[in-house]
Amino acid sequence: MQDKLLEFAELLRANGLRVSPAELLDAVGAVARTGLGEREVLRAALASTMVKRAREVPVFEELFELYFSGLGEIIRQTGRAIQRALAMGDREFQEFLEQVERMLRESGRELSELARAILLHNTGELERRLREAARQARLSSIRRPLEENHFAKALERAVGLAELERELNEVRKAIGALPYDAETRERLDTYVGIRIRELQEIIRRYVRLDRQSRDPAARDRSRLSDIGEKSFYHLSEAELDRMRQAVTRLAQRLRNVVAIRRRRGRRGRFDAKRTLRRSLEHGGVPFRLVFDRRKREKPQVVVLCDVSDSVRNASRFMLQFVYSLQDLYSRVRSFVFVADIGEVTEHFRNHDAAQALEAALSGGIVNVYAHSNFGRAFKTFASDHIGAINRRTTVIVMGDARNNWNLPYDSCLREVRQRARQLIWLNPESRSTWGFGDSVMDQYAVHCDLVEECRNLNQLYRVVDRLLPR
Amino acid sequence: MFASIDDVIARLAEQGYIASRRIATVIYLASELKKPLLVEGPAGVGKTDLARVLALALGHELIRLQCYEGLDESKALYEWEYAKQLLYTQILKDKIGEVLGGTQGLKAAVERIASQDEVFFSERFILPRPLLRAITSEHPVVLLLDEIDKADAEFEAFLLELLSDFQVTVPELGTFKARTIPLVVLTSNNAREMSDALKRRCLHLYIDFPDRARELEILKIKAPEASEKLAAEVVSVVQSLRRLDLKKTPGISETIDWIKALTLLNVQSLDEELVGETLDAIVKYEGDIRKAQEELREHLRQVRARRGSATASDRDLLN
Ligand SMILES: Nc1ncnc2c1ncn2[C@@H]1O[C@H](COP(=O)(O)OP(=O)(O)OP(=O)(O)O)[C@@H](O)[C@H]1O
Ligand SMILES: [Mg+2]
Repeated sequence: MQDKLLEFAELLRANGLRVSPAELLDAVGAVARTGLGEREVLRAALASTMVKRAREVPVFEELFELYFSGLGEIIRQTGRAIQRALAMGDREFQEFLEQVERMLRESGRELSELARAILLHNTGELERRLREAARQARLSSIRRPLEENHFAKALERAVGLAELERELNEVRKAIGALPYDAETRERLDTYVGIRIRELQEIIRRYVRLDRQSRDPAARDRSRLSDIGEKSFYHLSEAELDRMRQAVTRLAQRLRNVVAIRRRRGRRGRFDAKRTLRRSLEHGGVPFRLVFDRRKREKPQVVVLCDVSDSVRNASRFMLQFVYSLQDLYSRVRSFVFVADIGEVTEHFRNHDAAQALEAALSGGIVNVYAHSNFGRAFKTFASDHIGAINRRTTVIVMGDARNNWNLPYDSCLREVRQRARQLIWLNPESRSTWGFGDSVMDQYAVHCDLVEECRNLNQLYRVVDRLLPR
Repeated sequence: MFASIDDVIARLAEQGYIASRRIATVIYLASELKKPLLVEGPAGVGKTDLARVLALALGHELIRLQCYEGLDESKALYEWEYAKQLLYTQILKDKIGEVLGGTQGLKAAVERIASQDEVFFSERFILPRPLLRAITSEHPVVLLLDEIDKADAEFEAFLLELLSDFQVTVPELGTFKARTIPLVVLTSNNAREMSDALKRRCLHLYIDFPDRARELEILKIKAPEASEKLAAEVVSVVQSLRRLDLKKTPGISETIDWIKALTLLNVQSLDEELVGETLDAIVKYEGDIRKAQEELREHLRQVRARRGSATASDRDLLN
């Protein structure tokens, strides 16, 4: 079991979860106490010891399915399929299995354990035998799809498939001689017939599943299901939805942290030690209470967000984030641009998130179907809105810097930088593409204090962490 | 302690808490492995209540520390009773005079007083706060650190130390070590992500909103006076509201409040009007109420369309 847990922990790590050695030990200790018998319990034991971030739970679930419960589930599924094929309800199927048992007794045949397990639908026993066979056949060394056939055959030999088929065929023959009515005989015959083919099918699926859980390509796939790492550009509808929630949560959390820090800054704490010391001057009477006071500047933020088509998804999240930022800082002014630039601060203040975003992205403020022109946007900003910026302002630009070969007017950006406290650029494009084609990121970057790739949620988290006043 | 996972389920149920098998497994492990338990999840899914019933089920005392911004050691661990000390010095003025009798100069007087200060920094003048109480307790306790995400990062660091060896040092008095390791439950709403170091030390339990079956069971135990039909309707509505993007998603407590209110009004079955009038028991914000009403209307329209009859009463449609 320990080996299996160790291997599973490796699998988790390969998919981006951090599992420390101590946590692995906890998992071993936990499983030693709960046992392996029940899938839900095993899942809870492993999740509680090895997965500590709610965000990582979906990845864990997926890998757990692949790695642990796969075989049991396959066996149960085939069981359900047989039940359907025989058109029986749960109760009926139970009764039928009892009948099968009676039949075996009456036929006076000595059956192998494996054959009994299969005919009586003893899924636990079947699973145990298959796992043992997998160990013998060294299934854990499988890597490539092409090897599936080879390993399936090896497993069949290890579990004794040929022997089993012979046994079950004999059972089938014997049924004809039993003193049952024709209908019952026929049903039993059909049942055993299905069961003969079933084991082969189970083995085939088991091998495939096991291979998938070890295949690096499959790993990448499941890693991508971690929404935090997924690029804003490639999202399905459902993921968009999850992402929206995640961004809102991030902003909420941010709000809390900032609120806490700010309040602490304002209030200052009662300092008992210094109060006592000070009071000695007055014969021990605490004349003056001493507070520990820290001064903190309220930050001001100006956000310029690219809403052109090339960054559509990204800007949606950025704007959502900006929307939440407005609540957060005392003074946030928000602008959107494509070629023109327009202010959306009031809009954001007066509408709920969905409406505000819709307005900003649908062309009500600036023409979003124009060709991106960062140069013109900065030039306009520098001439019309420069008053928004002073020494305390942090300016954040979000955009891919794809300027359509227009004039970059980076001197205007420099002017903005000179009046501001700092200038930060968040680019939703992969860093490796900056400066290629019509990207003028490099020209703008020299004027920025910080340029960050920001193409997924995890990166946004990191950026936010840096932005926080401390 | 608990004999098994089933034992956990049974004993929590006795105290009126319906634990899923997953929750029960983690509780069982926390008590077996003697590890702190970090419970995360949205508001109102029974995180705090879990700690409370856990204490009841084990017959242990519950010691609770409610965390908040600015919480520090003096509120969490102990504090010298400054006022009491002051009062004593006032009352004992003459006595202090005696002690100081014959000393020459300020320096000597200070020395003399200092040699007596253990009188003032003794257990008599210490005010134990929850953490110290949990550590010095004679009998086993369940220690609940509620809404730990609201506390500052510095406090978390301090807690980390405490959770690793369960002892504290009061410089003036010495070191206290826990006689029995308390069962520690930390709850968090995720206002702030807890540090990896803390998480590593804890078992982690994520409680989500309950599924339909478990929520029905909870209602049966928490609001037995409500009819089964009403409970089924209420749970349907609440579960569908949880799928909306609300500012505050209704938790179990809201479901309980709502069904209690409805039962008080002697309602047997929901209809659109009733839902509209009592909706503010489950959704609190203006915007949320609007969204919820839209959803319910849509819900009704769909059911109506499915049944293909415009005459069926709204009462039935909500099922
Ligand atoms: N599984 C359950 N069985 C019975 N009652 C429950 C269950 N879960 C929650 N409740 C009830 O729901 C209510 C809310 O629970 P509780 O206050 O513990 O939530 P919480 O998760 O701590 O919320 P918050 O994050 O707001 O503090 C309580 O009245 C509790 O009795
Ligand atoms: Mg609570």
